[in-house]
Amino acid sequence: MDDPTFKLETVNKLLQQFFRDKQKTKCNGDAIKLMTELLRIFVAEGAARAVQQAKVESSPTVETDHLEKILPQLLLDF
Amino acid sequence: MAASGEELEDEEYEALAYQQLLKAALHYTVGRICEKEGGESGLQFSRRFIAALTETTFKQCESFATDLELFAKHAKRTQINCDDVQLLARKSSALAAHIDDMSKEIAKAHEADKANRKTKKAKKSKPAQESAAVVEIEDES
Repeated sequence: MDDPTFKLETVNKLLQQFFRDKQKTKCNGDAIKLMTELLRIFVAEGAARAVQQAKVESSPTVETDHLEKILPQLLLDF
Repeated sequence: MAASGEELEDEEYEALAYQQLLKAALHYTVGRICEKEGGESGLQFSRRFIAALTETTFKQCESFATDLELFAKHAKRTQINCDDVQLLARKSSALAAHIDDMSKEIAKAHEADKANRKTKKAKKSKPAQESAAVVEIEDES
């Protein structure tokens, strides 16, 4: 895959630190792969929607204002 | 935060530093993904946007992790597997289909791996036939 994506190790540690039962809960290798893809899509989707919002407002750069506008729907979709 | 600086214990400091490390790693990749997205559309992303998106992703990760843990717990497991992630991606049908495809691909790769190992164990009794069968299955998809 050419698309830039997260490192599996990063995703694993990120999830691990959020678990409530840190000793017991483990993550399968395949599950990590899927989670990495899910996170990549989340970020890419957020960026793409913000780009669209910036285009609608004919702004040359994508700013936090644009993120603010697309954030509610983005969070509802994930 | 600054006022309670002295009250923070070593462990809390360490946890905070660890979190910062993870955020830095996240920030780097988010930046790269945005760069690619910006290259395609010809727009520039501001630094604040990337930082905000990183923060959003970090928070979202927390909810993902809690959900995954609870899904696994509900299935009376302590290990999170592909099924849990598939359940996590249920909210949008296109995303669910994509994750479904990917998990099938991974499962297929595992089967091919197993088949390969079996042929190796059998000391080349009929490795050509088996590997040919695997290739055929992959072509069909």
